[in-house]
Amino acid sequence: MTRQSKDPNGTLMMSRRGILLGGATLFAGTLAAALCPTLSLAAVDAGTQGQFMKLSNLLIQHQLSPAVGARIADTASGEYKKLPQMLDAIIAIAEKKNAVQVEDFFADIPDGELKDFAHWVISAWYSGCSSEKRNATVFTYEEALTFKTTSDVVTIPSYGISGPNLWTRPNLPLSAPMPRF
Amino acid sequence: MVTKNSADVVIVGTGVVGVVIAEQLLDAGHSVLMIEAGPRVTRAEVVENWRNAPLGVKGDTSVAYPSRLWAPHPMGGEKPEDAYLQFTGPDAYDQTFIRYAGGSTWHWAGTSWRLTPEDMRLNSLYGVGRDWAFDYDTLEPYYVRTEHKLGICGPSDRSQQWPQTGDRSAPYPMPALPFSPGEVRFTEVVKTLGYNNIPVAQARNSGMPYDGRPACCANNNCVPVCPVAAKYDAETALHRLEKKGATLLVDSVVYKVETNAQNKIEAVHFYDQHKETHRITGKLFVLACNGLENPKLLLMSKDDRNPNGVANSSDQVGRNMMDHPARTFTVTTKDPFWSGVGPVVNSGIMETSQGAFRSEHAGAYFRYNNFARNRFVTFAALKKGLVGKALDDEIRRMAACTADIVAAHEILPDPNNRLTLSDKKDWLGLPKPSINYDVGDYVRKSWEAYSQPIGKQIAEAMGAVDIKISPKFNNSKHIMGGTIMGKDASNSVVDVDCRAHDHENLFIPGGGAMAAGACGNSTITMTALALKAGDAIVEQMRGA
Amino acid sequence: MKTVKSFVLVAPLALIALAPAAAQEFSKELIEKGRYLATASDCVACHTNHDGGKPMAGGLPMASPVGTIMSTNITPSKEFGIGSYSEAQFSDAVRKGIRADGANLYPAMPYVSYSNMKDEDIHALYAYFMQGVEPVDEKAMETKLPFPMNIRASMIGWNMLFRPNETHKDDPTQSAEWNRGKYLAEGAAHCSTCHTPRGIFMQEQKSLNLTGGQVGPWYAPDITNDKVHGIGTWSQEDLVTYLKTGKLDNKAQAAGSMAEAISYSLQHLTDADLNAIATYVRSVPSTKAGETTGATRFDKGTADNDMAAFRGRDYADGLKGDHAGAQIFAANCASCHGYNAQGTKDGYYPSLFHNAATAGDNSINVISAILNGVDRHTEAGHVFMPPFGDQVNAVVQLNNVEVASLSNYLLAQYGNDKLKVTPEDVQVIREGGPKSNMIQLARIGLAGGAAAVAFLLAGFIWYRARRKKPSVLSE
Repeated sequence: MTRQSKDPNGTLMMSRRGILLGGATLFAGTLAAALCPTLSLAAVDAGTQGQFMKLSNLLIQHQLSPAVGARIADTASGEYKKLPQMLDAIIAIAEKKNAVQVEDFFADIPDGELKDFAHWVISAWYSGCSSEKRNATVFTYEEALTFKTTSDVVTIPSYGISGPNLWTRPNLPLSAPMPRF
Repeated sequence: MVTKNSADVVIVGTGVVGVVIAEQLLDAGHSVLMIEAGPRVTRAEVVENWRNAPLGVKGDTSVAYPSRLWAPHPMGGEKPEDAYLQFTGPDAYDQTFIRYAGGSTWHWAGTSWRLTPEDMRLNSLYGVGRDWAFDYDTLEPYYVRTEHKLGICGPSDRSQQWPQTGDRSAPYPMPALPFSPGEVRFTEVVKTLGYNNIPVAQARNSGMPYDGRPACCANNNCVPVCPVAAKYDAETALHRLEKKGATLLVDSVVYKVETNAQNKIEAVHFYDQHKETHRITGKLFVLACNGLENPKLLLMSKDDRNPNGVANSSDQVGRNMMDHPARTFTVTTKDPFWSGVGPVVNSGIMETSQGAFRSEHAGAYFRYNNFARNRFVTFAALKKGLVGKALDDEIRRMAACTADIVAAHEILPDPNNRLTLSDKKDWLGLPKPSINYDVGDYVRKSWEAYSQPIGKQIAEAMGAVDIKISPKFNNSKHIMGGTIMGKDASNSVVDVDCRAHDHENLFIPGGGAMAAGACGNSTITMTALALKAGDAIVEQMRGA
Repeated sequence: MKTVKSFVLVAPLALIALAPAAAQEFSKELIEKGRYLATASDCVACHTNHDGGKPMAGGLPMASPVGTIMSTNITPSKEFGIGSYSEAQFSDAVRKGIRADGANLYPAMPYVSYSNMKDEDIHALYAYFMQGVEPVDEKAMETKLPFPMNIRASMIGWNMLFRPNETHKDDPTQSAEWNRGKYLAEGAAHCSTCHTPRGIFMQEQKSLNLTGGQVGPWYAPDITNDKVHGIGTWSQEDLVTYLKTGKLDNKAQAAGSMAEAISYSLQHLTDADLNAIATYVRSVPSTKAGETTGATRFDKGTADNDMAAFRGRDYADGLKGDHAGAQIFAANCASCHGYNAQGTKDGYYPSLFHNAATAGDNSINVISAILNGVDRHTEAGHVFMPPFGDQVNAVVQLNNVEVASLSNYLLAQYGNDKLKVTPEDVQVIREGGPKSNMIQLARIGLAGGAAAVAFLLAGFIWYRARRKKPSVLSE
């Protein structure tokens, strides 16, 4: 037993948080499915989508688009036959650690299938794609998180950043704050 | 009068060369029919094709331009045996160009370095290569016309212009574009080494609309497509040409140039996308398919009168294939540079292309690539297994603190660098081009003794903590040679106006005619040659 | 009765006629005053062919629902311009729409507004046009309208009914600034020419002053002080900023004829005059019945996108089905306006939400901005959105179905989600706005010999909308 689970307050807190978080992401997933008719035809049911968003929010502490999440979950269901179980397993690890951020529980995910899947989910959100390869499935371009990490300076290529010839800007040091996203 | 199968002037190809000549002729009152092998698509489609492509292949220039069955062009990721271009020799002449209406300016960076007077007298001054058939002063007015026709921006300060030698008879129509933070820093760094990193003259609307096209808003996507047409590409002219009366046939693959008893060109023949053949007649013909498709077509068109191929009594068609062999230094720095603000190529060191050393080895042009780095670094950062804040920080650090410095070299025209017709056939049954290529000792010597040391010196001055150098010479996708220009019909294909020595009503303007390419990108010179050819055609048609 | 009143009013003016220009030298100050008034009156916008023509030499084709009207040469050329006009003749042309030869001008010339101008200002304008403008000895193209609109005399009856014949009189209950503002706004700056709806005879419906009207392919919106439908939520500074720059961040930007008015005229006025105009315009109440609460056209919509529906898939598939509008937006608009339609951070490229163009009471300006783009010259530079119509420089030539689909996406996602656009609506705007059936009516009327004929003939549109393509540069 871990130290947290012995702490009744901690357990209670975790449960409440887990319920709230789960409910919110479940709702977001369902909403995305309802809002996007093309997405609701996807193989993934709303429950799995909700779990996928819940896991995504545990792995990544940024605002995540439910519509993009539905696209990733759809592909995940094709590539990972045991997707629902894998989602549940990693979420359970996080909840067990009373995790509020990925750093709190990532090391506890066992190497192998589960860890690879967790990396794949993160990679999908950051790159917007299922892989680095030519035949990768693309979930998003504009909302790929890689661009958010540099959005204060760098263009998302093909999208303009300023009025004509008004893009001169200072050379920000690495100590400058990370954009909030 | 123009019909679907005849016109005063028939132009094969709808890239920048064909387009500027077409407009000259239309304005002079001649009928013009243009034939394009590939499709006509909208900018909307190309932009979305690119956005829909996976991040890992976004650097592939062709990804937004899938080739059509009947008009193959090089696509990334093909197996060598399936590829359109076949290679022999020590180096691969691995070009990128597209067979689409509007041609390969769709995905050029817009870089518009003029040749220098010295570049055009390589043999006289340095005893290597070929001299051009005319001097810089002859070409200069056509450079000015090109700068105004395409809308090329550049600095007004003479010390920041290229070339430093030779006169400039008119200013650029628009000012230079602002630098990214990385370009500012790079300029400062190389200054400490005594090098001037100057603004690229580029066919991009700077601070204002030009020619009915909007101003650049720093989409950082010149390659592979400007989403707003702030960069000149020939597609932007097609509707205007049609309004002026041009007829445009697309998905029509010209496979034969037909000569008559006087050995003048009588017609061209093309396949449509259903493999049906058609014949187009005219008074005068322009082949505007650049340095790779033009020689291929001439060689395919051999007949009894022209047993080596049309325009090939000199046996120079397909020879002297040139490019700007390039090496890339991927530099990781301690402090940020920050690429990805403004156009993708916005500055360069050109002075290193010139000097007495050219009797021994090539010069080189150094440029700082200004592409946003995310597409290059994201997967590398992810592979490190980082998560959370550490992952965010690493992507940001790698995007900010890595940079590509490219050294592009001058190559000499070598008759053994030769395009021939391969045994392999494309979908229509036409032979695929095969290119034998060796960048040559002139380039290799430069790399060993000159450009590599300079590149490393620059990288170190940038504060490099790591330098990765591309293991072989890459192609700059600047196709030159192939239908080389000269005064002597026995060792060149076209005359000073890009008219075929062998056929008085056949013009073959563009990069193929260039007798020396120096280090700077070829399009501005191709276009200047097109305008010069256009003047000659208008003059010739007056007597027709 | 009206006939008599007209003649009575004309007579005193004739008495103050001055000698022809050649006989006197005007002072530099007077000429400069005239130049300023000519700028305020925006003469150059119509009387110059901006595609290579000389200033004030005319030759600009202007589309109207009854045919194309060519602007005239108003340089002091004696042969081709107005060089031989006396001041009285000049005054009649400007304030009454009557040429020196007695023929009537078409009210493409906003003499209905200019009729409020004071004699001293007409005098200054005359001095400027005689001695401050370079004479151009070139004949401008003549206007050729179809019968019966080619009968200029048809305007006589219309003028009797609809032309005010009084110059501005100060309202003593209002401030001097307000009076100056009214004088300019209702006169030289001729705001109501576009912003006031037209009646059955194409006359300005003064009872609905500044409540909005269609101007060819554009809609000049309600600029009364109504807090929902007008600009009642704008501060004095907001309105002055807009008049100076053609843009108010996160609210509105000038295109079409308003862009021209700002480029050629309003931005050049003094701050005092712009404040005066703002003071007056902000005092004009709406007389139009409508809801008194609700979101204005300046604060509808939010940042969002629908790209997950098609990203990574085939472009052609994206153009089909429910997400076609979103796909067209992504491919054509988002490159400058942002993938969430949020605009650029510096505000140069506006967001498409919180934007009057997508959230007006009708869809005219959404469609027109797509088809015609934006072209505005101000001190801040040349603002240019390329067109997406059938112009040769259109970035992409969108068809009616595509424009309708895109418009509906923009309206639903970012603006007034109550509006729907059909391909037929797009075609009307593509053709320059609604056509008048007045010619047909007038011909029928003539055949029947009805008394209404005169009025029908008179009913005329003088929209300043141009048929010329504002964003095309020819070689």
